Amino acid sequence: MSRDQSSERRTGRALLAEIAAIVGGDGVVFRETELKTYECDGWTMERSTPEILVMPRTATQVSGVLKALYRRGIAFVARGAGTGLSGGALPVGAPVMVCTSRMNRILAIDPANRRIDVQSGVVNLHVTNAVKSRGFFYAPDPSSQVACTIGGNIAENSGGPHTLKYGVTTNHVLGLELVLPDGEIVQLGGAAEERCGYDLVGAVVGAEGTAGVVTRATLGLLREPESRRTILAAFPDADSATRAVSAIIASGVIPGAIEMMDRLIIRAVEDAFHVGLPTDAGAVLIVEFDGYAAGLDERAGAAVEIARQHGATDSRLARSEAERALLWKARKRAFGAVGRLAPNYVTQDGVVPRTHLPKILREISAVSERYGLAIGNVFHAGDGNIHPIILYDERDPGQVQRALDAGREILRACVAMGGSLTGEHGIGAEKMGEMPLLFSPDDLLVMAELRHVFDPDERANPNKVIPKPGACVEVAAPRRQVPV
Amino acid sequence: MSSGHMAGVGTDREHLLREIERLIGAGRAREPMSLETAACEIVVEPETVEEIAEAVRKCETDKITLAPLGSARTLSQIRKTPVALGVSLARMRRVIAYEPDDMTIVLEAGSTLGEVNRLAAQHRQRLPVDPREPERTTIGAMVGAAHAGPARLSEGTVRDLLIGVGFVGHGGRLARAGGRVVKNVAGYDLMKVMTGSFGTLGIAVEAAFKVRPIPEDYTLAVRKFGRHNEVFEAAAALNTALSLVHLEMLSPGPSAALGYDYDWVLMAGFAGNRAEMDYQSAKIHEVLGSEARLLKGADADAAFASLRDMEFPAEGLVAQIAVRPVELLRCVRDCSGEYRAHAGSGVAQIWLEEVGEGTAQQTVSRWRELAHVCGGNLRVLQAPETMRGEIEFFDRPSAGAFGLMKRLKQAFDPAGIFNPGCFVGGL
Repeated sequence: MSRDQSSERRTGRALLAEIAAIVGGDGVVFRETELKTYECDGWTMERSTPEILVMPRTATQVSGVLKALYRRGIAFVARGAGTGLSGGALPVGAPVMVCTSRMNRILAIDPANRRIDVQSGVVNLHVTNAVKSRGFFYAPDPSSQVACTIGGNIAENSGGPHTLKYGVTTNHVLGLELVLPDGEIVQLGGAAEERCGYDLVGAVVGAEGTAGVVTRATLGLLREPESRRTILAAFPDADSATRAVSAIIASGVIPGAIEMMDRLIIRAVEDAFHVGLPTDAGAVLIVEFDGYAAGLDERAGAAVEIARQHGATDSRLARSEAERALLWKARKRAFGAVGRLAPNYVTQDGVVPRTHLPKILREISAVSERYGLAIGNVFHAGDGNIHPIILYDERDPGQVQRALDAGREILRACVAMGGSLTGEHGIGAEKMGEMPLLFSPDDLLVMAELRHVFDPDERANPNKVIPKPGACVEVAAPRRQVPV
Repeated sequence: MSSGHMAGVGTDREHLLREIERLIGAGRAREPMSLETAACEIVVEPETVEEIAEAVRKCETDKITLAPLGSARTLSQIRKTPVALGVSLARMRRVIAYEPDDMTIVLEAGSTLGEVNRLAAQHRQRLPVDPREPERTTIGAMVGAAHAGPARLSEGTVRDLLIGVGFVGHGGRLARAGGRVVKNVAGYDLMKVMTGSFGTLGIAVEAAFKVRPIPEDYTLAVRKFGRHNEVFEAAAALNTALSLVHLEMLSPGPSAALGYDYDWVLMAGFAGNRAEMDYQSAKIHEVLGSEARLLKGADADAAFASLRDMEFPAEGLVAQIAVRPVELLRCVRDCSGEYRAHAGSGVAQIWLEEVGEGTAQQTVSRWRELAHVCGGNLRVLQAPETMRGEIEFFDRPSAGAFGLMKRLKQAFDPAGIFNPGCFVGGL
């Protein structure tokens, strides 16, 4: 369903001409058919095409474009690769979309200081690829890392499997160049570990594009661990697997990653990739230890023993780097594999205290039954960060609504267990309505004050993150047409 | 001049004391003691968030300045004149929730890091921030002043471990952000905003942290060097070869003060299981030679504690420099003072034992210029009492960043009462 053609355009020929003069004719898209690609990100429940898509190459161009918008009071939304899962790049009352895909240059690699300077449109995996040969890596590794951009990661404060040990995006961003909504270019933070004054870098990372457009980032790099041990442990059910997770972490060392897949996901992945997952298992854990080769066998052995004590029927070590890579490929493509099971799916991103994992998984399976929808689970178990994948068929409006409601019910359960609405996907357009479950009106007021420091007129990615008091935040109809 | 009060408003001290007692109860206000006298005129010790909110509202209405107060070590340095009201959280030191299996802890901000870590140690866990004198470091001060120590190399700093925060801001509003789970991106990250805000945005009342396991074993390798650049070269080699817990370098002054020879000293800590310890010990000897002394068990713990708690000279000019890590060598050399440097992090505390009258700010400016050239900044930690007035304690951010900081301060503290006038650019 496309944007309502009858809605009044807020951008005119003059603006289009001004923007084209700044970024060049090939940097502007304004034809309805071409804009269709940008009607949604990874959150496909809602769609809305922008009126103009701009693809600048430099901060100066971004600044010029934002100044033109500022003079006209027009709102905008930044977009990286559009892999986000919460509708962060969905234009909601933002006629102009600023896409960073052409700002894809790695500007400087500084291995001695373990820093790298990149434009914000650089793809996540390209950062690690650029420094791998020198023995470094960039830690945040979302499942979409072959496509997602650093700018998008910064907006959402993205994570990934290995953030259990190494932290999320905010732990690895030292400096930012930000174009404010009025077009001013500001430099925040820098190459040093200590900041000067308020930690504005920390405020911008995770602000979901509501502070302006990030155009450049200084990132910290980590040394590749000397060695790794990756274990695949099969359990009769999700309950025993998640109990093992807490026990492994409590045993005294933080593994590089602990991921879980349940039966539905195991089967989907196995059908798609044939990696040799045990299809009779109720759940599997992928547990990875990294560090000095010297201590790893002992660590892996201890984890295997803990898994066994918690009911694991089989545990095996990846015997080669190729086998390890295959396991991770399977894990990271699990979402794609699920696409074979149903016409549509929606992924949630709740968090619970790790020890509540067995409880939330039971709750998810109860929700699945109540709503008559299959739900698979593939997630960052070590962090307590669940990703229930709710399968549905969009041709059946009843199913769409049930999928939305089921997702909300799971999130409410997470919050009730002392958890959170989102661990790494962001609030976006998707979960604004649930924010009051987590935060008081005063909390939200203070957050809005922080946002206004950067964007007093709320023109940078408007109608996101913080619900407007009194505004209707319910999705009125499935796949609603969002007013641009 | 009783300049803790805003100009033109004539609330006198006795009157304020009585007002505060009336507002939040008798016996909650007291005279400042020792270091506190340089920080505030009256100390108030509330027992609840609501009492803090009352005090904040009162101060806003009457334009009375206030600041959160731990042991006053930082505030007594950076304040040119005392604030009227120091808000001590000495009576708010409860552990709100500690979930060892989830490895999270929620604390009232008056708790000290020392008592928190004694509790966590019962579960072989710790909050791995290691500023000086943990028994005197309150959680509120640790967050507010972004205190850190040697373990920043392996564990990060407060900003990496703080997962939730609650503070009383303008209007006496209690605002919370984050939560109690280790991974969470719901809402704006006020944890980062509060960390290192030096009490200028509100009074932090509670904080939630990730805790970490205490490693199975810990060894401290000590090796002295006859030359300044040798210790840096050795540190760089070690930092490439190993993932250390900490990697500290001391100039001869502090090294002698800690009981080592008057030489440059490298102190590298490493941890792990038995196989990892054997491997690292061998590697340390390979890089540092047989002269490296390995301290274990209680000896290692004691040596680390004295390194962590190392005192700066009482009359010294002390600053913390943060630069691109490889440029730290040049910086500390050209600053030509004594130092304790966190190799790998690019951060060092540097100092002069004494400075001539009227030359302190000149020295700070010279150091600061050097920091800027090396991609970083410099913050003064301590200055002789008579010279504090002339010194700019905080470095200047870029013009664009400072513009945003002014707006942030204005938004969070419209009345200008929260520790005003001593943070970056006079905020």
